[in-house]
Amino acid sequence: MSAPLQSRQQILKRIRAATLDCAQDPAMRAEAYAALPRAYTRHGQLSAEARLKLIIERLREYDAEVVESTPAELPSAIKAQLAASGRHCFVAPEGLSGEWLAEGFDWKIDRNLATAEIEQAKGVVTAASCGIADSGTIVLHHSAAEGRRVATLLPDWHLIILRASQVVETLPEYFDRCQQHPGLITWISGPSATADIEMTRIKGVHGPRFLHVILVRDESLTAKNDEETNPDLRLAEAGSTKVR
Amino acid sequence: MNDVGSHAELDPRRALPFSKAVLPVLRNPQLRKNVAHAIDVIQAKRARLVAEKTDWQALRTAASAIRAHALENLGAYLEQFEERCTAAGGTVHWAADADEARRIILDLLRHEKASEVIKIKTMTSAEIQLNPFLEANGVSAFETDLAEIILQLGEQEPSHIVVPALHVNRSQVREIFARRMGLKNLSDDPKELTNAARTYLRQKFLSIPTAISGANFLIAETGSVAVVESEGNGRMCLTLPRTMITLAGIEKVLPRFQDLEVMLQLLARSATGERMNPYTSLWTGVTAGDGPQSFHVVLLDNGRSSILAKPKQRQTLKCIRCAACMNACPVYRQTGGHPYGSVYPGPIGAILTPQLMQMKFAQSLPYASSLCGACYEVCPVKINIPEVLLELRAQVVNQERRERDRFFDPMYVGLRIANLLFAKAWLFHAAQRLGRIGLGLFTRKDGWIHSLPSIGAKWTQTRDLRGLPDESFHEWWAKRGPQPDKEAK
Repeated sequence: MSAPLQSRQQILKRIRAATLDCAQDPAMRAEAYAALPRAYTRHGQLSAEARLKLIIERLREYDAEVVESTPAELPSAIKAQLAASGRHCFVAPEGLSGEWLAEGFDWKIDRNLATAEIEQAKGVVTAASCGIADSGTIVLHHSAAEGRRVATLLPDWHLIILRASQVVETLPEYFDRCQQHPGLITWISGPSATADIEMTRIKGVHGPRFLHVILVRDESLTAKNDEETNPDLRLAEAGSTKVR
Repeated sequence: MNDVGSHAELDPRRALPFSKAVLPVLRNPQLRKNVAHAIDVIQAKRARLVAEKTDWQALRTAASAIRAHALENLGAYLEQFEERCTAAGGTVHWAADADEARRIILDLLRHEKASEVIKIKTMTSAEIQLNPFLEANGVSAFETDLAEIILQLGEQEPSHIVVPALHVNRSQVREIFARRMGLKNLSDDPKELTNAARTYLRQKFLSIPTAISGANFLIAETGSVAVVESEGNGRMCLTLPRTMITLAGIEKVLPRFQDLEVMLQLLARSATGERMNPYTSLWTGVTAGDGPQSFHVVLLDNGRSSILAKPKQRQTLKCIRCAACMNACPVYRQTGGHPYGSVYPGPIGAILTPQLMQMKFAQSLPYASSLCGACYEVCPVKINIPEVLLELRAQVVNQERRERDRFFDPMYVGLRIANLLFAKAWLFHAAQRLGRIGLGLFTRKDGWIHSLPSIGAKWTQTRDLRGLPDESFHEWWAKRGPQPDKEAK
């Protein structure tokens, strides 16, 4: 037997011996897991309007810029953000809706762009999978409309299009919606930051220094009328045109 | 001025006992000021955000139960993690000790023909002293977390597990960066210092094809790994290189993906006083077209399974490395991290380090505490640190008792005599009378003893001792005689 294999066996043997006092077969283990106490808040209490107000407030608290828009006005809202950024060259994920690619700007569509090319772009525009109001967090599952991880990382300016119907109040509500486990996830709460020097929060270290969010008040929100999560509104459909 | 902890010894095998290591720190007002400032800022932010969370205690209870359950079933969950991670294209390695982990990592780097590697902050790699080992074997390791760069360029040791350079202030950072990056005109504005680090690292991120990370959580259900960070250096290391090597203690496993809904709510609030840290990344093996196409996990035991074997001490392994305990600790606030002589300082270090050392080193650490319990109160996974401290103290005492010629040990002899005297009332009273005469010789007019000879001086050197009263309670009670019952009226 080779040495690495020996270590594996040896470690697992030690662990088994160490946990003899609480040894469980798979059925017992599943039962014990199901019985773990989970008395924390699962579902938020806020109205849809208050939930949106909260996520905007929390995003702004961490220095993200937030504007609101209707679905009809979205393309012009995107264009206004791009123009206001003073930048010209943007990366767009392959699956990003064509009508979001405002005219008059230089778009690099990420069909496996080289890192150096992404690095040269001044910004990136993506969709998202979910927004969590309680912590001001936006979740990317890196589907075709949300972009590869590198595309959302190297450009210094990131514009995220988040639909109101994608916003939940609590983190557990996000996990409830996340029926199928995505292999890649990035939870983003404000732009890159550090407090390593005298605990002074400095915006922008290595990730994008500027985070902009357009919150789209989509139809489903009024249709939903504050009811529990609409099962038709799974993340994949809501977040992107197609999932890789 | 750049003497801030630069000579700290963080190898528990060589470090001085806490009570000796602490002396230079206590004479360094600048360092104590830096530590106290940073701690006060984090504590205030944490307190505010914890207070706004109405289900905080329910979250702690859940987190504690999830972590305990994961440890009780560690073997099964690790095997599940290995299976799922492998199925997703990752490779899992097992390292019984630090030496084996270092060799596995070096072999992987040699296979990649890597002479340079970029690193995300990982205390586990500091635990196995990976960087000096790689340097000695011709591989340059570049730290990418801002605090770790400060330490690496300033040739200093970490003093905290979340903000490792909190003992260094801005002018000291300026001095280090100016000297090592050749930036003569750098100011001490944190923004400018941060930008200097950004520029310094950008090329390294883009050009070095191999990275090393730690792990905040391993997910058994999916074989995924989660890394929690702020700056984006983690995302750079996780995304840009061809090859990714993750070093993780075996205790880092969570049963299911959904368990993150508890952990992520607790971790950032406890660690940095944020509702959520700027970036949390989760990945599962390798993903075609996105990120490293070669992914390795090194699972490290290095003494952890022996901690697991002791049911009372097992809770030590529930730790999610948030550092709330050190931020809350009145001892740490005065001393900073270096006197703990370990990469894991503060209350969690005081219980983790001696156990990782199999109680052969760092025996002074269980005493580096006032047992006030502040650490237990803030711990997001409810590790009863004072309970483990007491358990470890008992073990240290038992060890010393076996190892020494005990009848020459004043404490042992003293306690044996006390044991005899306290067992019989007449002996106790006789000892009291004798003690009153003996101590009376040293008692001043104000009723206090200011100095004692011989071993008694160990007490009076640092504090005064109350003289024994002229009359004991028993004597007073007996003299008082029967009293009329006032209540019965």
